[in-house]
Amino acid sequence: MPEIDSGDTAWVLVSTALVMLMTPGLALFYGGLVRRKNVLSTIMHSFFVLALVSVTWVLWGYSLAFGPDAGLGLIGTLQWVGLEGVTGDPSPIYASTVPHLAFMAFQMMFAIITPALITGAFAERKRFKAFVLFSVAWATLVYAPIAHWVWSPDGWLAGLGVLDFAGGTVVHLASGVAALVAALVVGRRLGLVRPANEPHDVPMTVLGAGLLWFGWFGFNAGSALGANGLAAVALVTTNTAAAMAALTWVTISWLHRGSPSVLGAAVGAVAGLVAITPAAGFVTPAASILIGFGVGVVCYGASLLRLRVRVDDALDVFAVHGVGGAFGALATGVFATVAINPAGRDGLLAGNPRQLLVQALAVAVVAAYSAVMTGAILAMVNLVVRIRVPSEAEEAGLDLAQHGEIAYGS
Amino acid sequence: MVIAALVTFAALVVAWLAAPSEAPTRAPAAKPTVEAPLAEVA
Repeated sequence: MPEIDSGDTAWVLVSTALVMLMTPGLALFYGGLVRRKNVLSTIMHSFFVLALVSVTWVLWGYSLAFGPDAGLGLIGTLQWVGLEGVTGDPSPIYASTVPHLAFMAFQMMFAIITPALITGAFAERKRFKAFVLFSVAWATLVYAPIAHWVWSPDGWLAGLGVLDFAGGTVVHLASGVAALVAALVVGRRLGLVRPANEPHDVPMTVLGAGLLWFGWFGFNAGSALGANGLAAVALVTTNTAAAMAALTWVTISWLHRGSPSVLGAAVGAVAGLVAITPAAGFVTPAASILIGFGVGVVCYGASLLRLRVRVDDALDVFAVHGVGGAFGALATGVFATVAINPAGRDGLLAGNPRQLLVQALAVAVVAAYSAVMTGAILAMVNLVVRIRVPSEAEEAGLDLAQHGEIAYGS
Repeated sequence: MVIAALVTFAALVVAWLAAPSEAPTRAPAAKPTVEAPLAEVA
């Protein structure tokens, strides 16, 4: 029977709290980016998901994602429904030096923030009731299976040897692609004049980005599942990539638009955090500088492209999380080295080109599954309740039309 | 116990489905009146 290590347990519990704070941080990040008439509804999306998935994860989500395999490595069984059998003793499968419940709670925070990330795509026009139904279904039918594929030892992508330290494919690519599909299905916002009427509060967004950066230390370094050298590596690579991506984004915007954008610094840092997520425990700090630089360039380009197409992914979820997640997953296949993590694999530069192919396969499969399932879920939800609010509600703002409240007094 | 928890959550889902899809319309708040005693005196 594995034994609990107090240091490892303390770190995983603290990391769980750090990752929890990311979702309110995301609420502020998104809340600042929308128009003032929609700030409460946007914040509510993230805050409600925090409560909603906390319950569904305990009831059935954890069992589907991490429970004993139902066959073929596609999804877990319901053997752990309601956390039956998940106790304060360590799991012999996951994190053998911390209580199984601590591992479960840490993973819960990932399951919470992933559907919350999608909400940036349909901000300012989605009916709250439709959002609630969508979130329950997406966390169950999209997040849980993908987490099982990648992170369960019985998962079929895990069996192929895919590397995803903290969720580049499971969290960011899956949510980014879902965001693109959701933006396509829900349609463009009414009366949108870019960029004059957004964002309404850049300091709120920068505060949110700061909280995300802070919490990301738990997200990535906590994924070492122990208070050890690997956690230190992940913390350093995480901070370095975020910093380099912020520097890169600001520099490009400075050259491109003539001024160093504050908003660009915040979004650039988040892009760096996204890209280093799958790589954090597999690459060197020097490689994290290259990853941060690369994702800064690529995601800046993706955000420019978004302005040219008619898809209204309101808060650039696909450009940052979809593109950044795919970039990070592929970069892991390039820069990974067992010199950093003997439990990992070498990447292309260490003489193992196959790893890059495995990473590319994972990117393609996760993107395709998320896209198809997100479209299907939205179609089903639309049969129960119209996804989009009426035009008069959209013009009035969702804070008043959906929640009966306003953020700021006159 | 697990069954009771699942049923309780299911009851919430049913309540969400039955709940209004739009917030009740609210009349615009009346603008506060400002007394102007000097003007009245004048």
